[in-house]
Parts: sequence; structure tokens; C-alpha cells
Amino acid sequence: MEPTQIALYTLLSPLVSAVVIALFFRRNGTIAATISVASAAVVAAGGLMLAYGGHRFEASMEWFRFYDFGMSLGFKFDDLAAVMIAIVGVVGFCVHLFSLGYMADDEAKARFFGGLSIFMFSMLGIVLADNLFMMFVFWELVGFSSYLLINHYCLKQSAAEASKKAFIVNRVGDFGFLIGILMCYGVYGTVNLSELAMATTGGALVATAIPLLLFCGALGKSAQMPLHIWLPDAMEGPTPVSALIHAATMVAAGIYMLCRIEMLMVADALQVIMWVGTVTALYAALCAVVQSDIKKVLAYSTLSQLGYMVAAFGLGAGQTNSGAMFSVGAAAAMFHLTTHAFFKALLFLGSGSVIHGCHHEQDMFKMGGLLKKMPLTAITMLIGVLAIGGLPFVTAGFFSKDAILHLAQVTNPAVFGILVFTAVLTTFYMVRMWKLTFLGSPRSDSASHAHEGGFMTMQLPLIILAVLSIFGGYTHGALGFVYGHSFDGVWSQIPHPESLVGVVIMSLAILGIGGGLAWVLYPSSDKDGLETQVPGAFAVLTLLKESFDKAYTYYVAKVQDRFAMLLNFIDQILIAGLIVRGLAGFVGLFGLGARALHVGSLHAYVYWFLLGIVMLWGFAGGLF
Amino acid sequence: MSSIGLFHYLMVATLMFSIGFVGVLIRKNTLVIYMCLELMLVASTIALVAFSRFNGTMDGNVFVFFILTVAAAEVAVGLAIIVALFRRRQTVQVDELNALKN
Repeated sequence: MEPTQIALYTLLSPLVSAVVIALFFRRNGTIAATISVASAAVVAAGGLMLAYGGHRFEASMEWFRFYDFGMSLGFKFDDLAAVMIAIVGVVGFCVHLFSLGYMADDEAKARFFGGLSIFMFSMLGIVLADNLFMMFVFWELVGFSSYLLINHYCLKQSAAEASKKAFIVNRVGDFGFLIGILMCYGVYGTVNLSELAMATTGGALVATAIPLLLFCGALGKSAQMPLHIWLPDAMEGPTPVSALIHAATMVAAGIYMLCRIEMLMVADALQVIMWVGTVTALYAALCAVVQSDIKKVLAYSTLSQLGYMVAAFGLGAGQTNSGAMFSVGAAAAMFHLTTHAFFKALLFLGSGSVIHGCHHEQDMFKMGGLLKKMPLTAITMLIGVLAIGGLPFVTAGFFSKDAILHLAQVTNPAVFGILVFTAVLTTFYMVRMWKLTFLGSPRSDSASHAHEGGFMTMQLPLIILAVLSIFGGYTHGALGFVYGHSFDGVWSQIPHPESLVGVVIMSLAILGIGGGLAWVLYPSSDKDGLETQVPGAFAVLTLLKESFDKAYTYYVAKVQDRFAMLLNFIDQILIAGLIVRGLAGFVGLFGLGARALHVGSLHAYVYWFLLGIVMLWGFAGGLF
Repeated sequence: MSSIGLFHYLMVATLMFSIGFVGVLIRKNTLVIYMCLELMLVASTIALVAFSRFNGTMDGNVFVFFILTVAAAEVAVGLAIIVALFRRRQTVQVDELNALKN
């Protein structure tokens, strides 16, 4: 098969699955799940074939043409897309498999799996798109599928609100993205990624506004400040959805998109991007410390790690080794994106396993002692925790995070300091989460009756992802079997420090300080250790967490609602009152007069007839 | 003064037409109104015949034949409607035929 054909089938198989489920199997969850998992397997197989088969190609066809404005649909499959499609395929398949177990008793299983398939289709579209318009179309489609899946438990008020919030906040970012695309077309005359790269190599015509506007899209989708508020709420969706969409793939699409439009970047824009990422990383890590919901901890941790990626991109996108396709920053960001996809999906699926085992209890302070009841989940999650904490050499997170830290160290000391502090916080809240969940004694009935899920559906995905979380950090050499040499175009650009000793010491120190503090602060109890021992810090962090939501609520209540009232007034008085009702009233008045002529007596009509004749005569005679 | 010209014929036609029209206006019985209508039709026929005679052409006469034919057909239909109306409503007074208004 031609590689283009493989790509096409890979892209279309989840769409077919979604359509078939929507049309024929809405009431039959088992068949729907089978179809969806099969399509995910096709995606994984197709994606891996493309990524590891050494196929790199570009192909496009015209969609429509309007005078000299043409829009095309096409594939641009380079090393970047190969990395991404492999992640989407593998993590997607693991999550589909896990969902079989997690959603086994769900009433709306067909809707759930249909939504997952729609998501896979949209995500692949973003990955493969060769121009910004096509990317935008699929960009909106992932937003839609995210909305659909967050809202899975649609009878719950909070889920309904969370899905709306996610959609609306994303729209804000996407608005900027769309304007950016239009400006890009206006300035460069093309939105094709390869043509843009050629247009910008000359160095002329680079505007700061374009990369910043395009970054707005990433701001929404990757939930960076100040548009981060939707992601923690999005945890209302089923846990596999959180793992796939709100941790591993969709939220990473923003980073991927940034790497795609690297050639449009200018120094000023990169400064902004770097600081947005850094601040988000720190802020989200601080918020994660005071969460009691296991999924919310992971949500804030996702925000924080996405901040790392954005910061890495901002730090290093300007630095390109000669002859390299991708910049140092993009490589570091993509590398962290990859390892993060593995260990964060692992952590989310692990938390899903815990939640499933504890009969949908999500409060960590009501868990405890699960190590004995769910050993496999506990161990795989420990691997995830160590990976995100960056335990040297045996976890993937070490390599990717330290690539970013190294990049920060040589580029911007302030950012480096903040990111190191964030790393300490990261290990702090992750160890806190793991200790509260798995150690000590059960603190509720549901925790004491916890049990492991089925092997094939719930444990196997954990094992696959745990293996990837360990070996996913080796990009070359004997242990680099995960990647082979397929992604060398990107991986060869990852920045590495000269000597590993300092890095290892730093990582161990981060892990020791953060983890040790958490270990000491959080005894196995149903009270938050920080709240009882350092209430001041707890209160400040809670306030910090809520400040954004409060600010937005205030803004909506005081500014937006009032503006809407004004518009409503104008609409009611001017448009509805004067124009619409006014016209209708005029016609109605005429009708009223005409109705009065219909008196019901035949003789009256004869008189009207006479009148008509007289007027006709008058007209014919030229009287008027 | 003794010769009768076009003017006289037209006067007769106008008179007949006016009588018919006034009849349509003031009479209440559908049958009588119908007869008045026929009167108006015949008045116009007289005018046409007179024009034809005094202009020396056949145009008016041709019209008359058409009008007579159409009028015959119209009478057949109209009378049938009036009979059907009477059978259904037991009246042909226009004052009482106001089902659409009420």
C-alpha cells in the first residue's frame, strides 16, 4: 500500500466507526465498544506502520476553489507528525482497551465509544493536516468531541456546566487562532505549512502578531494561563477520557501546533510564550497541592507539565542547529510531550482503576491502604509518579524534564529557577497523592472493599504504559528500542547537558526534597496534612486556585452580563420593536382596513365593484 | 327628427343597463338579481348591434353571437347553482346568504 493510502485509512477508520455507531448501534453498547476498539487498533497499527516504516511524505488535493482562493486537504507527514501519530495510536488504543473495563456497566456506552472514535478521527486530522485551515477544522472537531465526552454523565449538573465551560473557553482561544490564520493568509498568501516554511526562510515579512494570535489557539487547547480554567473542571468526564483527551493527546495538540508553526516565530513572541508556560507551570503546581480529588491533582499536574512544554518551546524555538529540520525548543517540547503522554495516561488510567475499584470514590482522603488491595495499580502508578518526578535513568520523565531544565539553565536563569521550584512541587504533590491513596489504612467503606479490575481490559493498558514510561526516555543507544531510529529528525535535536553528574544530583535533590516533605506532611488521615499543620499556606493556595474562577465570574457578572443587557435592550427596542414589529404593525393596520371592506352583504360588494369601475374609468379618462 | 339614429339605440341600451344595475343593487332575491344581470348583458348586446349597423361592419354582430352563446351557458350554470342553493338553504335571499361572514 502507498503511504498516503495508509494515512487515509488510518484517518478514516475512526470516522467510519463513529458513523456506524451513531447510525446503527446507539442502543447496543457491546457492539459499539467492539467497533470502536477495533478502529483504535487500526489507528494504532496504521500509525505505527507509518511512523516506523520510514514513510515521510506530503500529499494534498484541492477541496474547493473560489476565484484565486483555494483550500486544500492534505497530509504532511514528517518526523513531528510521526511522533504524534505514534503517541495518539498507542495511548489511544490503551485507553480504548481500558474503557472496555471501566465503562462496562455504563448505560450510555455506545455514546461514549462513538465519542472516542470521533475524537480519534479529529485528533488524527490535526496531526496529519498540511495546512492551517485544515488543522483549524479538526481543531474545532476535537473541541466538539471533548465537549461530548466531558458531558458524558449529562444528567449531572456539574458535568453539563464543565462541558460548556470547556467549549466556551476554547472558543475564546480559537477566535485568536482563526484571526491568526487569516492574517497569515493575508501576509504570506498561503497557509500550507511547507509553503510557509519556504516563504519565511527569506526572513522578510515577519509579524509578531501572527505567532501570538496563533498561540492563542494553543492557549485555549493546551489550557495555558489565563485560559487554563476549563481543564480542572473537565475532570467531570469519565476517567479514560481524562487520560486520552485531557492529558495525553488533545491538550498536547497546542504544543504540537506550536511546533508546526515554528517558522513563523519571532523573538518577542517567544518571550511571551516562554513566560506564559513558566507561570502556568508554577501556578498549576501550586494549585495541585491543595486538591483532594485524585483526578483534580492529576489535572493540575497536566496543566503544569503543559506549561513546561510551552516554556521549552518558548526557550528554544529560536535555536536551530544548522541543517536541522526542527529547533532545539521544539524537540525538547515534543520529547516531554511524548514521555508525558505515556506517564500521564498511565497515572490517569491508574486513578481510573482506583476510582473503579473504590466504587467511584474520588476523594483521596477517603482512600488509603490500597497497596494491598490493588498491588498492580499501586506499582504502575508509582512508576508514573517517579516518572513525572524524574527519577534518574530508570524513568522517561528524567530525560525529558531535564532536557527542558538544561535548556532553561543555558537560556534564562529566572525561568530555570521557577521551573526547578515547580519540579520540587511536582514531586511533592505526586508523592502526596500516592501516599494518601495507597498507604496507611482504608478510611472509608468503599476503599476497604476495593478490588483490581480485569486483566485484559484494565491491567494490560497500565502495564503497557508503565513500560513506555520507563523506556520512553531512551531516544538512542541500546535501550532506545521504543523509538528505533524512526524519529531521529526530532530526537537528535534534544538538548543534552555536557555532564550528567550535576543533572542527576539535581534530580535526586528535587525528588528528595519534594517527596520527603510530602511524606512528612501527610500522615494517613482523612484531614489534609497541610491544612492542619500549616493552615496559612493552605488558605493562600486555595485562594490562589480560586482566584481565576472568581475573577472570571466577576467579569461575566459585572461586565459581560451588563453589555449583554445593553445589547438585549437595543435588540428589543430597535430591532424587534421598531423594525420587525413596526413593519408587521403597518401591514396589520392595512389588513385591518381591508378587513372592514368585507361586510358580508352582497350589495356592499356591488358598490365596491361600482367604485372600482368608476376609478377605472377615471384612470382611463386621465382624471388621475 | 323622425329618423331614429345611433344615439337613440345607445340611450335605450344605457337605460336598460342602468335598470339592470339598479336592480342588482337593490333587489334581495338572487333570482331577480340574476335576471337583472341578464338585462345588463342584453343592454350591451343592443349597443353592439347598433354599432355594427351604423358602422357598416360585422364586428359587433360577431360579438353578439359570442355573448349569446356564453350567456346561455352561464344561465344554465347560474340557475343550477341557484336551485342547488335553494335546496340546501331553503332561501335565495342574499341577506341570509352570509355563511362566510359569520
